[in-house]
Amino acid sequence: MQQVINVFLIGISIGSIYALMSLALVLVWRSTRVVNFAQAGQAIVTTYVAWEVVNRSGSFLMAFIVAVAIGGLIGGLVESGMMRTLFKHASDGPVASVAPVIATLGLLGVIRALVGLIWTNEGKRFESPVSTAGFVIGDTTLPFSRLNLLIICTAAFVMIVFSIVFQRTNLGLALRAAAYNPEIARLSGVKVAMTRTIGWVFAGAAGAVAGILLSPNDSLTPYSLDVLFVFGFVAAVVGGLESLVGAVVGGLVLGVGLSFITFYLGTSLVFPTAFIVLVVVLLVRPSGLFGVKGARSA
Amino acid sequence: MLKRKHEESSKREHNPYRRRILFFLLLGWALLLLGDRVSELRVYQGALIAIYALAIGSLILLTGYSGQLSLGQGAFMAIGAYAAALTQIYLQPPIIITFISAVVVAALFGAIIGGGAARLSGPYLAGTTLALALGLPTLANLFSFLGGETGLYFDVGIAPERFGSEFTLYKWFFWIAALATLIMLFFIQNILKSRYGRAWKAGRSNPAAAQLVGLHVGRRKVLAFTISAGVAGLAGALLGMVSLVAPSTFTLSLSFAIITGAVLAGLTSLTGSILGGLVLVIIPEIAEMVSGNFGESEAVRANIPGLITSLLLILTVLFTPNGPAEQWHHHKEKKKQKAVEKQKN
Amino acid sequence: MIGSFRKKGLVAASAIVAIAGLALSAVPAQAAEVGVTATSIKIGTTVPLTGIAGPGYAKVAPAMKAYFDYVNANGGINGRKIEFIIKDDRYLPPVSVEKTNELILKDKVFATVGQLGTANNLAINSRVRLGSRGVPSLFVNTGFSGFADKKKFPTLFPLFSSYRMEAKIMGGYIKENFAGKKIGLIYQNDDFGADALKGFESAGVKFDVSIPYVSGTQGAATATTWIQKLAAAKVEVVYIFGVTTATAAAVGVAFAAGYKPQWIFGSVGADATTIVGQTTVPVALLNGALSMSFMPDAADTTDEYVKFFREVNTTYNNNATFDNNIMAGMNGAMMVAQALKAAGPNPTRKGLIAAIESKGSTFASAGYPPIGFSATSRVGYTGFWIGKYNQTGSLIPVEAKGTIYTTDSANGPVVKTTSKRPALPTKGLPN
Repeated sequence: MQQVINVFLIGISIGSIYALMSLALVLVWRSTRVVNFAQAGQAIVTTYVAWEVVNRSGSFLMAFIVAVAIGGLIGGLVESGMMRTLFKHASDGPVASVAPVIATLGLLGVIRALVGLIWTNEGKRFESPVSTAGFVIGDTTLPFSRLNLLIICTAAFVMIVFSIVFQRTNLGLALRAAAYNPEIARLSGVKVAMTRTIGWVFAGAAGAVAGILLSPNDSLTPYSLDVLFVFGFVAAVVGGLESLVGAVVGGLVLGVGLSFITFYLGTSLVFPTAFIVLVVVLLVRPSGLFGVKGARSA
Repeated sequence: MLKRKHEESSKREHNPYRRRILFFLLLGWALLLLGDRVSELRVYQGALIAIYALAIGSLILLTGYSGQLSLGQGAFMAIGAYAAALTQIYLQPPIIITFISAVVVAALFGAIIGGGAARLSGPYLAGTTLALALGLPTLANLFSFLGGETGLYFDVGIAPERFGSEFTLYKWFFWIAALATLIMLFFIQNILKSRYGRAWKAGRSNPAAAQLVGLHVGRRKVLAFTISAGVAGLAGALLGMVSLVAPSTFTLSLSFAIITGAVLAGLTSLTGSILGGLVLVIIPEIAEMVSGNFGESEAVRANIPGLITSLLLILTVLFTPNGPAEQWHHHKEKKKQKAVEKQKN
Repeated sequence: MIGSFRKKGLVAASAIVAIAGLALSAVPAQAAEVGVTATSIKIGTTVPLTGIAGPGYAKVAPAMKAYFDYVNANGGINGRKIEFIIKDDRYLPPVSVEKTNELILKDKVFATVGQLGTANNLAINSRVRLGSRGVPSLFVNTGFSGFADKKKFPTLFPLFSSYRMEAKIMGGYIKENFAGKKIGLIYQNDDFGADALKGFESAGVKFDVSIPYVSGTQGAATATTWIQKLAAAKVEVVYIFGVTTATAAAVGVAFAAGYKPQWIFGSVGADATTIVGQTTVPVALLNGALSMSFMPDAADTTDEYVKFFREVNTTYNNNATFDNNIMAGMNGAMMVAQALKAAGPNPTRKGLIAAIESKGSTFASAGYPPIGFSATSRVGYTGFWIGKYNQTGSLIPVEAKGTIYTTDSANGPVVKTTSKRPALPTKGLPN
């Protein structure tokens, strides 16, 4: 029983990171109807920056703040610099529907190459800000550590901030309105172009948090967040790709599920399971657990 | 009257078909001559160009003609390669059979996955096939007969003795790869010119209208997915022949490289696929020259090719979304039209 | 009609470009021997510089280069400078194949040396067919016993004592010293691990818990499952037969979980500097762990070879942190230099192989066990010594220094003997 609780808690810890990535993808999707395949790439940049800051200043908190700020900045720049040009040039023709996918894949490649050029492809060790040793209760050591606790708390904090912004502020209202129906929003005075950029900014910041939470106590390479993207995508689809709550729930469910599979069946089943979950959700309930019906043909 | 018209049109159909055969034969003959005149490094690269061209062709078939983008061609290549290697190891049939089994098995998987994927569009399909590309090769570690990370050897053997002792291993690979690719590209081109091809195009540019005139868009999409997977499977088997049949042969980077090649070649022109294959092999060479100017840094050498290809990818999709080749034609066509109009005036 | 003409134009254009690209270089005239000029001799290797096995092993090839630079600074080999090309294969067999093709077809090396990894070397030899091409593959960095098969690998010379020998010798030690205790094994699930399993079988050791892992998966997450299984079964002795990153992951997770078995590290994954560098484990925690080696310990500065390699490291290797990886690299390079020298003033690939067959067993090297090269044998070192880590991470012999156990890679007996290692040649150069 104790084992089960342990595995569950670790699942929540990793799942809250997936939830953040999933949140980032959903924010971008809601604002521009694009799945941003470079989301994890943007997070790689901010995580390397965070690594650099930790190494120079020793402060994890400062690294965190810098990473989130730069994450937001990159998100905004990508939207206003690249995506707007794309929508202008590739709005019709045979590749219109796949152009955003290709463009963001290209961006992912550029980011990786630049990161590799600056920091080399060799793995960097990202020291954990808190102990990774498990909590000790009596004479047994749990696999659940202070780092896991920190991850859960940080992710929860970010999600609370997001929900306050979305539910309680005028900005949040405008964002929701623009996502729900851009035309009506525009008519009622919402600057839709602005909300698009803001969506990407928030997404960039959320992705940055996911990156910095996943990397401590592990090796950081230009490729180390690929897996995070895929699990974030699966979580977003499970959650319906439209719903912010769905994104979070999807991430947590996936995290806990995969944690149990890792512990009881082995790591080699993790990917196949995630894939099967994705396909089953898409086939059986294409609108996800929280989505609106018919959204998939958009 | 009506009959004659029909005859006329079938004649018109017949002519380009023969010309296509003639063209592919000529190309094959040219490659054959070429293979004898270049170093083993170049025939090795030639084999890779052929393999990439075939893989790119499979993606163009899917994307350019049915509007679906798969990020998972690498996964279908892996399926083809494993099918070929397992057939070779356990049954030891003539080599041609191993390649056929690669096509059949990959197409079968394509049909299964396409059955689900046909209901998806745009980013959903892209994301799902991405998960496939990332997840499928890890299965090799689950079942010991797939050889784990070490992989399997797909051994087509050396060239028959009658070709002489000077006939190198990679020339033999080049012959096989080039022949398979030419035959397959010819086959794809014929499909695309057939009524199936036209139906795909119709389904891509206007699904609703195509449905209205009685074209079953969904079923055709599955068919496109199936054929594309089969072709990719053959490309995978060929790559397995030259390299290894292992998870790290069929990485996400491979899938991305193929997309890059297809986009640069122009997603709608099959003939650009050879050009795309060439680009994929040449870019690392250029990158090596470029990075040579920056000293012996491993980081530079490892990342310059990725930087160049990715930048090209972005620029292409931003400014010539239908591919440089297509854009060029567009440009020429316009010029021609203008000239015609001038003449009229 | 216009449409098909235009298509044809494009087809023709792309075909011409393709052909032009292929024809860029014609076949150059063959020199006397590939990769050898009057002033230089070109050799190359594939090793992981980055990737999952990068930490630690990335130091091997630069150390080889440092020794070759030292040789070049002292006049080279028969007046020829050694040109050494290093390619990063990220420990991935398909990449090893690709990079070896580059070495042989593009760089046109005389020989390949020191390639790292069992699966990698198997792939290279099977796919690029070094054997039928006649390309020598010297002193590869793997202890897979199968490489000693001259029929299968006619141009390959393995140097390391085999995994099978290691498993046999340590298996005997386990039976003698840990009878009645619960014993666990973590091993890499490929030919590298399979070789060890054969050795354990001939030693008659049985493991209570046996955990295979897939190369590439050894990280904290996977190691957590290993340690849970071992701790749950109350295993008291854990033998890790994997790469260094696997040892590091297991030791790191066990430390965090408060699990303290008697560790035994296989020689492949036993480098203390790398283990400590990869984890939060204090070096003192390795104290008491058993391992074995055929080389002197990197910290043993009383050893003349270690002392010499440390000097080369200071001047020619940017004074990198000296460890077993650097020593293995330099030792292999020293063997290569002697082989090149033995091949004579007009080296050929065939001549190189013949020279190692006739003189290889007398080459000077830091390894304690005798070298088994002959016209009929491709076996390199033939044994190990057993040691225990101390507080500072040095491996201290459990018996008198120089005591070694020799054996073969079949069912032959394990013999306890004393090392008769040749002395370091003058200035550490081939003579």
